[in-house]
Amino acid sequence: MFERGKKDDSTTESQDSNGSKLESSYEPARPAAVSRSSNAAVIGRSIQINGDLRGDEDLRIEGDVSGTVELRNNALTIGKEGKVKAGVYAKSIAVDGETNGDLYATERVSIHVNARVQGNIIAPRVSIEEGAHFKGSIEMDSAAIDRALGKTAAGSTDKPVSQAKPGAAAGAKTSPKAAAKDAGASVTAPAKTA
Amino acid sequence: MVLDLGAASTEMLALLGRARCRVEISDFVHYGGIDRLNKAEPGPELLQAAESVLPGRLPDDAVDIALCWDLPNYLSLDALSALMNTIGDRARPGALAHALIFYSEPDMREHPGRFIPTRDGELVDCSKTSAKVTAPRYSPEALGKHSGNFVIDRARLLSNGMQEFLFRLEQ
Repeated sequence: MFERGKKDDSTTESQDSNGSKLESSYEPARPAAVSRSSNAAVIGRSIQINGDLRGDEDLRIEGDVSGTVELRNNALTIGKEGKVKAGVYAKSIAVDGETNGDLYATERVSIHVNARVQGNIIAPRVSIEEGAHFKGSIEMDSAAIDRALGKTAAGSTDKPVSQAKPGAAAGAKTSPKAAAKDAGASVTAPAKTA
Repeated sequence: MVLDLGAASTEMLALLGRARCRVEISDFVHYGGIDRLNKAEPGPELLQAAESVLPGRLPDDAVDIALCWDLPNYLSLDALSALMNTIGDRARPGALAHALIFYSEPDMREHPGRFIPTRDGELVDCSKTSAKVTAPRYSPEALGKHSGNFVIDRARLLSNGMQEFLFRLEQ
C-alpha cells in the first residue's frame, strides 16, 4: 500500500486498501530513499503525505507525513530523514527523525540519538537514548495504556488517533508521598559526581 | 504525575515506571525554556512564557512531583517565581518540588547539568564539561520568597557542593 521508492510524475493521489485517500507530492530535487529493512515498506525522502495511513506491514518513513498513521500489528520506524506530524498507532515505534504528535504503541517506543520528539507517548516500554530530544508526557501504566489504546482502537475508523487524549485515560494516580517513595525521588538520596 | 523540567532519560523512566505515574518532560535546556523565561518582561508576558514552556495542561491531571535539578540558578528570581506559580496552579495540594542547585562554589557550568538516577535512587552527574559562569547562589530565603505557594520543607548541603531543596505546595 505504501510507496516503495517508486517515482511518479509530480503529484499523485490514490486510495489505499482501506479506502483512505493518500496524497503525495514528488520533489525531484530530493534523492530517493534507501530501505534498511528488506521487509518494511518505505516512504521515501521525496514523498510527502497528507492524510491517514493504515496498513498491515512494517513501515519505514523517510519522507514527510501529516495526519494519522495506524499499523496496529506492525513496527513503524521513522528514519533520520523522516518528519511525521501525526498521531501514530503501532505495535512498536522507533524514532530516528522528527515527530510532532502522540505516539501510541502496544509494545514499545524507542527514541534514538538525535531524534526530536514532541507530543505524548503511551506505551508499556519507552527508551530514550542520550542525545535524543523529547518534550511531552509519557504514560507507561498498563491500565491507563489499555484504556488509551482501547479508546483509540474503537475510534480508529472515524477519528484520528491524535484526537484521543492520553491524559484523559490516565486513571492511575499516585499520592506525592507514595510517588516520592516509589520513584526514589531522591529526597534523601545523596548526589554523586560521576 | 511527575513533571521533569530536565531532559528525558531511560533510567528516569525505568525508575518512575515503578510508581505507575505519568511523566511530563519539559527539557528546559534543549527547548529554550530558560531563555524564554529570563527574557520575558515581568507581568503577563512572563506568566504567559511560564505557561508556554510547560507541557499542555490536561483537565483531569495534576502535578504530584516537580523535578528541578540544577535549574533555579539559571533563572532570574522573577522567572523562578512565575514558573513556580504556574507549576503550583497545575499541582495538587501537598505536591512536592525537588530542586538541586550548586551552592558552595562561586561559579557554575554555563548550562544546567544532566542528572541520571540509579536503580537505588541515587543521582549521578552526567554533565558534559563546559565553560563556567558566575553562580547567583540564591539563598534559601530568596528561593523561598520566589517559589509561589511552595514552601521549603527541607534543605541540606550535599557533599558535592550542591544544595538540595524539597518544596511543598501549601494547601
